[in-house]
Order: sequence, then structure tokens, then C-alpha cells
Amino acid sequence: MKTNRREILMFAGGSAVGVLFTPAPWRLITDTALWSENWPGIPAPARGEIRARFTNCSLCTAGCAVRARCVGDQPVQLSGVSGHPLSHGALCPFGIVGHHLPYMPARVKEGPVKEAAAAVADGIAKCGPTEYVAMLDPRPARTASWTYRRAMAALKNGRYVAPSIDTSIAVDLSKVRTVLSFGVPVLDGWGTPGNVNVARAGFRLIQVEPVESRTASMADRWLRVRPGSEDALAQALAGQISHAAAADAAGLTVPEIAALAQELEQNGPVLVLGSSRLASTAGAVVARRETPAPEEWKKAAPAADLASLPDRSVRVLLIDESAPGGYLPWNAIEKKLVADNPVVVVFACSREGYARHANYVLPVGVYPEVADDIPPAIDSVVATFRIAAPLVSPPAGMVKPEAFVAAAAGLAIGDTLRERADAIHKAGRGTLFTYADAKSQALKDVSADNFWKALNAGGCWIDEPDSKPSAARLTTVASETRPAEESELPLAVVLTHELTPGSPLLSKVYRESNLRLAPGRVALNPSCGLDEDALAVFETLLGKCRVGVTLDAAIPPGVVQVSGSPALMDLCAAGARAKVVRV
Amino acid sequence: MTSANKQIRAARYGMTIDVDRCNGCGACMVACSVENNVPPAHEGATDRKGLTWIRVYKVDNGEEYPDRRTAFVPVMCQHCGNETPCVHVCPQQAVDIDPATGVVGEMPQRCLGCRYCMAACPYHARYFNWWDPAWPAGMEKTLNPGVTPRMRGVVEKCNLCHGRWHAAKEAAAAAGKPDTEPVDYIPACAEACPTGAIHFGDLNDPASPVAMEAARAESFRLLEKLNTQPKIYYRSKKDWVREIAAAPQPGARKEKVHA
Repeated sequence: MKTNRREILMFAGGSAVGVLFTPAPWRLITDTALWSENWPGIPAPARGEIRARFTNCSLCTAGCAVRARCVGDQPVQLSGVSGHPLSHGALCPFGIVGHHLPYMPARVKEGPVKEAAAAVADGIAKCGPTEYVAMLDPRPARTASWTYRRAMAALKNGRYVAPSIDTSIAVDLSKVRTVLSFGVPVLDGWGTPGNVNVARAGFRLIQVEPVESRTASMADRWLRVRPGSEDALAQALAGQISHAAAADAAGLTVPEIAALAQELEQNGPVLVLGSSRLASTAGAVVARRETPAPEEWKKAAPAADLASLPDRSVRVLLIDESAPGGYLPWNAIEKKLVADNPVVVVFACSREGYARHANYVLPVGVYPEVADDIPPAIDSVVATFRIAAPLVSPPAGMVKPEAFVAAAAGLAIGDTLRERADAIHKAGRGTLFTYADAKSQALKDVSADNFWKALNAGGCWIDEPDSKPSAARLTTVASETRPAEESELPLAVVLTHELTPGSPLLSKVYRESNLRLAPGRVALNPSCGLDEDALAVFETLLGKCRVGVTLDAAIPPGVVQVSGSPALMDLCAAGARAKVVRV
Repeated sequence: MTSANKQIRAARYGMTIDVDRCNGCGACMVACSVENNVPPAHEGATDRKGLTWIRVYKVDNGEEYPDRRTAFVPVMCQHCGNETPCVHVCPQQAVDIDPATGVVGEMPQRCLGCRYCMAACPYHARYFNWWDPAWPAGMEKTLNPGVTPRMRGVVEKCNLCHGRWHAAKEAAAAAGKPDTEPVDYIPACAEACPTGAIHFGDLNDPASPVAMEAARAESFRLLEKLNTQPKIYYRSKKDWVREIAAAPQPGARKEKVHA
């Protein structure tokens, strides 16, 4: 038989069609999916013994209790501790991904430690009689803060600078019937979120804010006011100005303000919260005892406001940015520095904050690598002592800020956290709450060593209740009006409260969804004339920078909402106005 | 999975979400990503190309300022109990319904990435893996060993933390409990919700809080007119939120819901 080319082609074609009616090609397709399952690009999770460890989150003042699910020693999942008397099992999104912070791509991993120490020593030596060495501590009342105060007291011209936070008073939310909040994110990270949620059913929330924030959207009543008019409304409620004047300033009606005043009078106790004020009508603000500290520490330098330092007087400035805290705009700090070669040393884990302005940036360990204590939150009616016990080891080369500052001041320090724990144990009051077994026991029944061990296993010391009503009262501050600016800078600035997130996974909430305003972005009403995602220049009296634009119809015309990232916060003083221009 | 002679009591796991308690913090989204090894957003990711098994939509009443009001609606796979659209269209049988739990499962090993299921899903609750899963250097150490990372080119979605369900089954077996009863477990999002807006449980158990909450008058489900019988129930006292739940696009920001 002779085979010609046509028959070969017909056979090949027939075979190709026939194969399609067999399982082979479909099996191959399925198998390709199986083969790709384990390609080398997919990371393999670590294997090992699964166990639980406990600590406390130090990312904000709430200090929520944390249960870490670990593979070996590596935490792979953080969750709240249910049954905890203060945090009630809640953990915010920033806390849930706290174990990612050591791996954030922007982390500072090395720095000129010796050069910085030499420059600080040189600066201290050159310090004139009217010049200062200042330690800026954005997160005061920690044990490390005591060390800074002691170090500054050891220096001739040392000054300890910290935000004015009164740790001797607290808010008792369980006694409050009405909360009047002037822009405070009561339901979005203020106080201890778990405690606020538990108390939420017991109080009526009235939110005074120009923009519908997350708290405003969940408040029982949201009072839309013009940006910058909150103080006028507060003054009217305190009887310092007329309702008509406040109504004119805030864009409300006189009957609305009168109804609000009547509601506050009838539905007490009322708690008034504002960015710079705290007041209550009857017993909701209480006195709180200090967490005990060793007697020899009490000779420390007092805390001073940054504003109390004369301009151009700080020769050496040390800033501890290792623990997240309040952010002071750089221009307020910069004008305090001497004109000729000030030394600015920042202890930071990233270059996004004050590190942008520093001569020396020294790398520090982050949560949950380093031990740090967390002062009681504003809504904790009793004193507490909790340690963010390390879950992983910091990389080599990290600096301990308190050790650096103490060495610069010639102060010898030991294990300060242990000394503080011993002082608390010596005081002998309060209870120890341990997370693994959810048990409370009287501190006097625990030995000092066991107390220290329990604290390092995520335990919490809770003081005895001794709450006395505080004499806190409503104080108001007149708004700064800047009519000259208004024509050139037409937009009122409203800052969002969150700072730059650390874990890359938080990109889920600002890039893969529109839940939060991403760092470096501003939100404007769609009528502003700019396009969504447009690049623009954001300008205030303090400077300008490039931003991305988000359009949001919830933003009133004439207002720009600014993300809480340091670069933008540097440009926004209180009551700032701005303009946003397309690039 | 279900054997008739064992007489396993089938569970119907579901959730209730109180929209009025959700403050849009995003804790559920990041907790889900941690639990299920969902990678951080790729540089090219947007709100349309992102990979989030649960997404909290910021919805509004469609009015202009000052009458505009917003709410936050967490949306994940609704685990449809009737004529589940994604199951019907999958050419690879990569999607199935576990008769023991009622959970709609996804098998990435079988998935071809054809995305028919994404087109079929009326809730936009399925996400395509556009990029190789990648974590910053060192962060791979934090991956959950109980869940395998998926490859690029497959569709992913919520499975009500099935890994946790398996772990609970194993724990129950180790404790000597019979495997004929539903086990007690909780998905990561419900565990993480700091405001307690998300509750999880067995809808077949009339004594469970979830079943009682689902039966309340103000409860509703998304797109109920499609009769897909989702197992995720929502609750809100706001009329406009309930109206949005019946609309075809829960994330549509500029859609007017009032005449």
C-alpha cells in the first residue's frame, strides 16, 4: 500500500479531532492547574509547634491585650484577649497586623550611632547659658519618659518636652449619659476601643464636626458645623457668648443651639470632649492615682510645653519617635532650634516622620520587638501597668533610646521596667490579671519575681478603685480668625486622625477599598473642579507638597480633608487654610 | 463528605452583620488577610483589581452635602443556599457546596482562572489573583501555616475560614466528641470585629444567637429578589441602607436611591 501526502494529512487531522473526544486534553488542562500550584514563586508558610503567647499592644495609648498565635517563636496572628477587664477582647486593624511592623519595607535598619553620640556630646559641651538640650517625648508617662526626665535633670540645661497630658484624671464612661464630642473620634480609636464599645449603649453621642467622619456616621446626632466654629459653639453652651453669635459662626440655627443646651442640661452627666479640652457636668471625669514609681526617680525634670521654650534656644534636640504618639508640626519645633548648627537626633523606625528633618536618624526596635510599658488610657478610671512584652527579637544594630539619652547625660540606669514593677509591688495594692488563665489575684499574694514574670507574659496590674470626682470644668479657647488668608487660601483644612499605617496589609483599607484616606492624599467635594486621582499641589501658609486627589461628596464645598501623614501634617497648623491646585 | 448512615446533623453556617454598628475600621479585612494568607496590595492594585475576601463598602444615601449620609457594609461571599450561581458556571467543578456546613468552597488547585464565576456572582464577592502573591522580605515568616497561599491566575473568595472549621473538627475529635455534631468555631472577621457588628453561628440551630438575629424583622439579605438564599444576614434601622441592599451595585457611590 502506498501512502500519499493527502492521506497522512487526513490521518493527522482526524487524530487531532479524535483526541478532543478523549479525556486526555481536558486532563492536561486540569493538570496544568495542579502543576502551577507549587511553583517556586509562592512562599511556603513556616511549620512548627503552634502555641499562644500574650502581650499588650503599644501602638497607641489604649494598650489592648493581645493573644499571639505563634509558630515556634514567630507570631503569625494577633487577636484580642476576650474577658480582659479593660480592652474586652477588641483589637483595632492596626493592632491586628502589629506583628508585621518588623518587616515594613520602609524600616530604618542602620544609623550613625557613634557619630550621633559624638555630635550630641559636642552639642552639650557647646551649649550656652541661654541654650537648651531638649528631649521631645511625644508619648509621655511611660517608664522611658521617667528616664528622659531624669536624664534632663542631670544636665545643666536639660529640658523635657512633652504634650501636656494630665494623667491624674480619667473619664468614667460608665457614668456618662451624654457625650458631646467636638471632632474627637470617639468610636474610631479614642480611649480604649473595647471599653468604649461596652459603654456605648449607656450614653448618647452628639458629634460636632464639619465632615461626616466614621464617628459622626454612627453618632446618635451629628451636628454639621462650619470648620473652625467648634469653639464658638462651645462658648455658647458655656454661656460665654450668645446663641445668636454661635449660630452665625457655626451655620446652625438659634433654636438648634438652644435645644442642644437644653438636652445637655436634662440628660446628664455630660462629658465634653475636644482636641484641647475635657470637661464634665457631674462626676464623669474622675481623679486617678499615679502608677507607683521608685522614690529616687522623683527628682526628675518636670514636663514642659514646647511653646514655653524661647525661640532659637535649643542646641541639641532628641526626639523619641519609637513609640507612636501625638505629632507636632515641624515648623513649631524648627523655630525653637538655634540658628547655627543645631543637633537633631531622631530615634525612629521609618524616615517618614521627624527623621526627614534630622541630622542623625538612629534605628530602633518596634512593637513587638522591644519591651515598653503603656500608660493608662484616658478612659481607664484606675492606674494600670502593662508591658508590651517582646514576641520577636530586634535585628542587630538597633538603638535603645533611653539608654542613648541616659548615656549622653551621664546617667547610669539599670532595668528601669523591672525597677518600676518592683516599686508597684512594694506599694502592694491592686490586682494582677493574667491573660492565659483570665484570673485576677491580689498583688500582695504574689511575689515580686512572679509579678515580674507575669508582666512579661502579658499580665496587667490594675490599681484599686479610688475614683474621686475631679474639678475639671469646661474651658474654651477663642478661635483664631485669619480673614486675610481666606481670599488666597479658600479651603478650610480638616485633618483625619490616623497616621501613616505601618503594615503593608493595611493597603487593603485604603488602596483596595476606599475606607481610609491613603497617606499623601486629600479629599475634596466633586464640585472642586479637579478629577479623581488627579495629582495636585496642596499649599498652606507653611509650605506646599504634592498630593493625590480623592473626590468625596461627603466633604462640604470649601473644605479639604487631609490624610494624617507627617508630610501633610507639617503643613497644617490649627485652623489652617489651604488651596489645592492641579499640577 | 456527608454519610447518610452516620446521620450527621448538617449545619448551615451563616452570619449576621449589624450595619449600624459597623464603623468601617477595616479590622475584618486585615484579619481575613492575615488568616487566609492574602498578600498585601500589589503596586498595580486598585479597588477593582484588589484581592480582599471581605470588603467593607462605604455606601451613601445618594444625596448631596449636607443631606448625604454614609454607612459601611461588609460584603463577602454570601454563601448562597439556592441555585448558587458560581457553582453552576464553573467548568472545572472548582466550586462546591459542603453539605455538612453549607459553606460554598473554592478549590484553587482546580481553578483555571476563566472568571465565569466572577461574572456570575451577583455580589462581586469573588476576586481574581492578578499577580504572584508576594510579601515584603521577611514577612513570609508571618504566614498562617493552616492555609496554603494561592498562585496567580486563580479566583479566590471567602470560605468562612474553612481552615478554622477543620481545626475545630480535629480538636473536637481529639477531645472525644462525636463527629456527628456541628463544631464551635468562628471566622477571623467575626472574631476581629472590635464593635461586635459581625456574629457567626449555625442558622439551623434555632437557639443560636445568629439564627435569632436573622429572624428579626429588620434583618435583610443582599439582592433578595434573586432568591439565591444567602447565609449572610444584615441588619439596619436605616431605610436607605435596606434600599441599597436591594440595588444591583452595593458599591455604586453616585447611584440615587431616592426618587
